[in-house]
Amino acid sequence: MTAISDSPFRAANQYIGKSLPRPGAKRLLAGRGRYTDDIVVPRMLYAAFWRSPFAHARLGAISIEAAAAMPGVHRVFIGADFAAICKPWVGTLSHFAGMKSAPQLPLATEKVLWAGHPIAMVIAETRAQAEDALEAIEVELDELEPVVDIDAAQLPDSTLVYEEAGSNVIFRTRIESGSTASAFEDAEVVEAEFRFGRHTAVTMELRSILADYDPSDGRLTVHQSTQTPYQFHDIYARHFGLSEAHVRVVAPDVGGSFGMKLHLYHEDMAVVGASILTGRPVKFTADRMESFLTDIHARDHRVRARLAISADGMFRGIEVDDVTGVGPFSAYPRTSVVEGNQVVRLIGAAYRLKDYRADLTVVAQNKTQMSQYRAVGHPIACAVTERLVDLAGARVGLDPFEIRRRNYVTQDMYPHKTPSGYSFERLSLEECLDKLHEAMDYEALRKDQARLREAGIHRGIGIATYVEITNPSPAFYGVGGAHISAQDGCVLKVTSSGGIQCLISLSELGQGAEAIVGQIVAEGVGINPNLVRVITGDTDMTPVGGATWACRGAGIGGETALQASKKLKGRILEIAGAILQCSPGKLDISDGQILDQGGNIRMSLGELANLAYFRSDLLPKGIQPELTVAHHYAPSGYPFAFTNGIHGSLVEVDVETGFVKILKHWVIEDCGRILNPLLVDEQIRGGVVQGLGAAFFEECLYSKSGQLLNGSMADYLVPMACEMPDIVIGHVETPTQDTELGAKGCGEAGTAAASGAALNAVNDALSPFKASITQLPMTPERILKALRVV
Amino acid sequence: MSEQVSITVKVNGSIVRRMVEPRLTLLDFLRRDLGLTGTHAGCEMGACGACLVSLEGRAVHSCLMLAVQADDLSVETIEGLSENGSIADLQAAFFERNALQCGYCTPGVLITARDCLSTGGVPSRDEIRDALSGNYCRCTGYEAIVDAIEVVARMRAANAEGSK
Amino acid sequence: MDITGTYRISARREVVWAALNDPETLARCIPGCKELDAKSPEEMAAKVALKIGPVSATFAGTVRFEDIVAPAGYTLVGQGNGGLAGFAKGRAVVRLTDEGTDTILTYDAKADLAGKIASLGSRLIQSTTRKLADQFFAKFAETLGIASAVSDQSETADAADQEAHST
Repeated sequence: MTAISDSPFRAANQYIGKSLPRPGAKRLLAGRGRYTDDIVVPRMLYAAFWRSPFAHARLGAISIEAAAAMPGVHRVFIGADFAAICKPWVGTLSHFAGMKSAPQLPLATEKVLWAGHPIAMVIAETRAQAEDALEAIEVELDELEPVVDIDAAQLPDSTLVYEEAGSNVIFRTRIESGSTASAFEDAEVVEAEFRFGRHTAVTMELRSILADYDPSDGRLTVHQSTQTPYQFHDIYARHFGLSEAHVRVVAPDVGGSFGMKLHLYHEDMAVVGASILTGRPVKFTADRMESFLTDIHARDHRVRARLAISADGMFRGIEVDDVTGVGPFSAYPRTSVVEGNQVVRLIGAAYRLKDYRADLTVVAQNKTQMSQYRAVGHPIACAVTERLVDLAGARVGLDPFEIRRRNYVTQDMYPHKTPSGYSFERLSLEECLDKLHEAMDYEALRKDQARLREAGIHRGIGIATYVEITNPSPAFYGVGGAHISAQDGCVLKVTSSGGIQCLISLSELGQGAEAIVGQIVAEGVGINPNLVRVITGDTDMTPVGGATWACRGAGIGGETALQASKKLKGRILEIAGAILQCSPGKLDISDGQILDQGGNIRMSLGELANLAYFRSDLLPKGIQPELTVAHHYAPSGYPFAFTNGIHGSLVEVDVETGFVKILKHWVIEDCGRILNPLLVDEQIRGGVVQGLGAAFFEECLYSKSGQLLNGSMADYLVPMACEMPDIVIGHVETPTQDTELGAKGCGEAGTAAASGAALNAVNDALSPFKASITQLPMTPERILKALRVV
Repeated sequence: MSEQVSITVKVNGSIVRRMVEPRLTLLDFLRRDLGLTGTHAGCEMGACGACLVSLEGRAVHSCLMLAVQADDLSVETIEGLSENGSIADLQAAFFERNALQCGYCTPGVLITARDCLSTGGVPSRDEIRDALSGNYCRCTGYEAIVDAIEVVARMRAANAEGSK
Repeated sequence: MDITGTYRISARREVVWAALNDPETLARCIPGCKELDAKSPEEMAAKVALKIGPVSATFAGTVRFEDIVAPAGYTLVGQGNGGLAGFAKGRAVVRLTDEGTDTILTYDAKADLAGKIASLGSRLIQSTTRKLADQFFAKFAETLGIASAVSDQSETADAADQEAHST
């Protein structure tokens, strides 16, 4: 791994950049993880929901008396109960002009909008008793025609999901740069129509929330499996009319999120509302089927795209039409248009292009709501772009590596602005390409492929370049009016024995946010990481901040921790200097000891803390015993810190059965300065496997009447160990100059390009048969259809 | 709603006597009645492996068993295995290799790993992947888990050699 | 979901027709039927216990006879509320033709599920429905006092039984 860094910290303590294991993992290995469903509080009640079996219907009478009388049942709620205390939410943002979306309340009031929409809620002594009571509830539903097709939904005679909008189109936008008309004139054109299967996160830990409202002092405490307690803190206070100072949201251990647990769910609001109305703690944990029906979905897109090239393979222009079928309303508070917006802005981004036109249409449907899920839009943009690039290469007789090399944005072009308006500080496209070529031993793979083809064995090699948004600025959400922070805060407290408690506004989901912050603080101050305790996820304790999403933890959170630790070190040395009667500039801290210029230990941090806390009588005049510092950092340079990388995929396609064996996968990635290589590698691996799930297995299937047909883990296929390959990873480091730390994000890079590389690999395997596929997932049936066998 | 039934189960080495509804799953019994929350619910249909426990020494899906079926039997959960040190080498290897992220699948994976290595010898990576094919993990992509199990298999085999 | 089938019944068409229109006979033959009461010549109230995959429930609803052309056939239209399990709707076009002293019965059935039963049972709906149809006709033949109705020829099942529109 190349260590490119001019950080002054490199020489001294060197925890940053080290592959240290995560201190937080030991608990989890002992079965002592504390996930929201594990938490039990006195007098807690359990919630269960009566859900609409129909995708679209008018809601009539609901009879709950029998249910309310059943054993253990405390109360049964319907829509009107929560409408009285909860402000409806609308998932629009002002910077997506013209967005329309139906206001939502915790339980359905007049209409049900998707199969799974909660209509009534039972709270009881046990979940089983609550579910028993559900069976006694009767609901009158008048079926309406469901909107389930993105084309039919746009026809003038289509049923409307939200009548007041007048249309099922939630949002439309066009991006135009240069003139694609002239780019396509007299050009070679490659084009395709792509379909991407609807996905769901399938986190191991199901969504869970425990709300506890104490009416005696008006305090609401919510434990929630969430990626962002700060956002929910704001939402519960605002929508239920509570003062923020009296609301606490805690994210305990979270068993996987991948963006899914960023969004507001009806059940969350119902649980909070139920606790407020009853003054009792109320817990809801989704079961797996509820999870399939209500967790946000993602990736439901149909993209028509064409690439104009000159005869020598130079890209001239791209035209894109992306139609995405979301749910019946836009998700809150992050909307259901960000994914499409990113798709149309990321296509072609890594390549030299001036002429670009993209249309995005976001269409409401009576299906589960859709919103941000790991790598948001990148997998689709990457698959579309990289497939077109391979088609272009085939058209002009250039190898996939060569056509990319010829068309990449080059080193002398930075800073570079894409036709869609994204700014690149500096990428390492060519270097990653060359490294992949070497890591794959590409020539040998091609030789093997040729030899095996003669024996009737069909291997395919595919590559896919990605650029990835990380470290987002307020341009993402804040400017549109969302109460989603783009900055982070960090409080450092020295303990009386010389350790450090660090409270920071990132979220730990197992990716290692706490670990890297611990490494940064340890190096920044000058103590062993074992003495640093990082605390996250509690709005009563940690500062307001952005938490974890869009790969912001390492870059933004890390910089926050770094600057805070520099501040603390300065404070410590100021006090030490006064005590030792020498200039702070002549002192340093190493391994918890305060050293002078000669390297002599003058005192320990523990001794200094002791003095400060317990013997302030011994401190020199004018020195306050201040060993707590706070620092907030907001990104201010580039709106996003783009990373880049490239994936390689090697597959073997059985042309008789359509089954694909994934033989191997490579990733060369550049996420700027690497803080912990072990954690980066494992983020990449996890992301790749999620991307391969998209490529081959995962799809939410709906019937014509809007029923989710595969709402269980038996029918929605997720990647399991026996189907996944070993993944080879290499690194390049191009730090960002926007921060002292230089780190960018890496959490989504694995997912961004894995499916694109696999798509190209399968198409490469099928090329002798003049067969091609542009639909994910590439199921055996679809591959056989492409081969014209079925 | 039916009458409660008395069951006697040895859990992590201690005899436990409780009254339970016949419809109560072993998983819910462990988590709710005994507070052993290290075993997790993932799918309630035996597809994901999060609920695996060791029953009479073999891995079983506690979501597919009723508590009454465990009457007079012996169950070990991740808490017990962790406290008696029997999977300490696996836990250490997982820790070093970062073979877990969110940790939700981890107790089930450790139960599978223990079973996989119980016959001795060093399984191939493919054999390890096969053994893990009932454990769903969304975070790690599996490779680090395979690495960690492989390391422990080799270590145990080397120790067995050494003590001959 | 769309399934078709053919049965050869060793009885004359008039006999078969009468039995197919007799609520008592139908009640005995419909698998899981708890109640079947004629409310009018064209409509019956029904309670049927169904198990599709892991989901079992009692569906309460109605069965109507439509497009009645005696003794050539009719269309049965049923819909049932399974409470938490969901809703089931079905429509079967039944045709009878003479073949000597036998009757050839063909049916073309469509079913639409909603709710839990759709999410968990879709994969099994086709095989389950076929099994239920076979059970029905076995009982039907038994009721008529004849050897079991032989299922004749290939049963063309609609490959796209999931009606997933993005295939």
